[in-house]
Amino acid sequence: MNSFNLKTYLTSNLDIDEKEISSIVENCTTKTFKKDQFLLRENEHCTHTFFVEKGLLRQYSIDEKGREHILTFAPENWFVTNRESTYFNQPSAYYIQALEDSKAAMINEEFIHLLSEKIPSFSDFNNKLLHNHIRHLQNRVNLLLSATAEDRYLQFIKMYPDILLRVPQTMVASYLGITPESLSRVRKELAQKNFKN
Amino acid sequence: MKTKTVELVASPREPHFVGDGFRVHNFIPSGYRMDMQRMDPFIMLDYNSTYNFPPSDKPKGVGVHPHKGFETVTIAYKGKVQHHDSSGGGGIIDRGDIQWMTAASGVLHKEYHEEEWSKKGGDFQMVQLWVNLPKKDKTSAPKYQAIKYADIKRYELENKAGVIEVIAGEYKGTKGSASTFTPIHMFNSKLNKGGKATFEFPANYNTALLVLEGNIKVNGMEETPTDHLALMANDGETFEIEATDDAVVLVLSGEPINEPIAAHGPFVMNTKQELIEAFNDFNNGKFGYLED
Repeated sequence: MNSFNLKTYLTSNLDIDEKEISSIVENCTTKTFKKDQFLLRENEHCTHTFFVEKGLLRQYSIDEKGREHILTFAPENWFVTNRESTYFNQPSAYYIQALEDSKAAMINEEFIHLLSEKIPSFSDFNNKLLHNHIRHLQNRVNLLLSATAEDRYLQFIKMYPDILLRVPQTMVASYLGITPESLSRVRKELAQKNFKN
Repeated sequence: MKTKTVELVASPREPHFVGDGFRVHNFIPSGYRMDMQRMDPFIMLDYNSTYNFPPSDKPKGVGVHPHKGFETVTIAYKGKVQHHDSSGGGGIIDRGDIQWMTAASGVLHKEYHEEEWSKKGGDFQMVQLWVNLPKKDKTSAPKYQAIKYADIKRYELENKAGVIEVIAGEYKGTKGSASTFTPIHMFNSKLNKGGKATFEFPANYNTALLVLEGNIKVNGMEETPTDHLALMANDGETFEIEATDDAVVLVLSGEPINEPIAAHGPFVMNTKQELIEAFNDFNNGKFGYLED
């Protein structure tokens, strides 16, 4: 709900003083992106992890029939990257696009090395972030395999409380792996249950 | 009685589209020092300056969205808007009409160009304002006040200077029909070329003048052209507008509520916790349901 920057994020999560972090963060550039602008396209090579300071990004793929499948929404304070490309040198299977005018810190490999070198607690923190990411992905796979549309939706609004007001419902349905009609039905049923006028 | 001076004259910002039916310049709260606290109780002002929409069989507008914690006031200067809400209400805001919607505890609504108007297209000019509510009224029941142009109370100025149409509050004994939760004056001042009108509001009332047509001079010197907004300082009570062409000016003046403001998207509450609750309530269907 507020805009963040990478420096604030790192100081609030790592044991490091303001002055020291300022000199390190100077090595990470920040870019602004217009709504609809691509940060990465399919088959391109991704060289950065994006930390969203303002706005909203999405990572998605397009299947053979031309349908979009949204893997991640990345609002303020989220990281998004294409790992197969960044860490395994493969072309990207995904697009990363700004859904609003956005601002992102561009984290590259050298910057990660610099953080690890200068801040002893960074590696542990980075591991924790990675494990948390894996936990999130496991949970997401499990929901896609076994949960009802309503359960998927209820988990979604916990994770992303304001996204429903920032993107079209078709995108939320795409993220949840359900049709827009199912999403509409779920929301209608919830309203019938919870709306007291 | 001291003169209320002009603090700044703001030119219209780069327009942006709200949905696909409203091409607006935002004056409040972004930029120009006119943030929500400074302008309270007027916490948002989007101005669709005259813009020609081509004919469209599919009405343009904004799909289903919620509001909570304030009122929306839509003033139609040109064009026609149709709206629907989650409690089954709806209506048409025709040229000159005003729709004063108290969202308060929460509504879902959608607003589009009226179907027949959309088929013909034409000039569209509109103001949408958000009026803040005091904490005690943020949870009151939603309601509408549809004010037809013909029912707006009018005060004829002397010497054929023009007319003051009183939407809310009072101008020299003529009272507007809109009921408000806190003291607010809202007038459309239609002045003939050379016509003058004087206004008097308490010094602490936040006050702004939006010029919809023509050009005006405020206090005999500050020129404010079409589509510009004059922000008045809180340094006095009286000021004068003179039309240098035939002019239409929206005059806004309101007593600040002076409570903490926590705002995000379409919710304006007092604390961050209340905002989180508003998002939860919306996500969980507590605002009802409305088909897109």
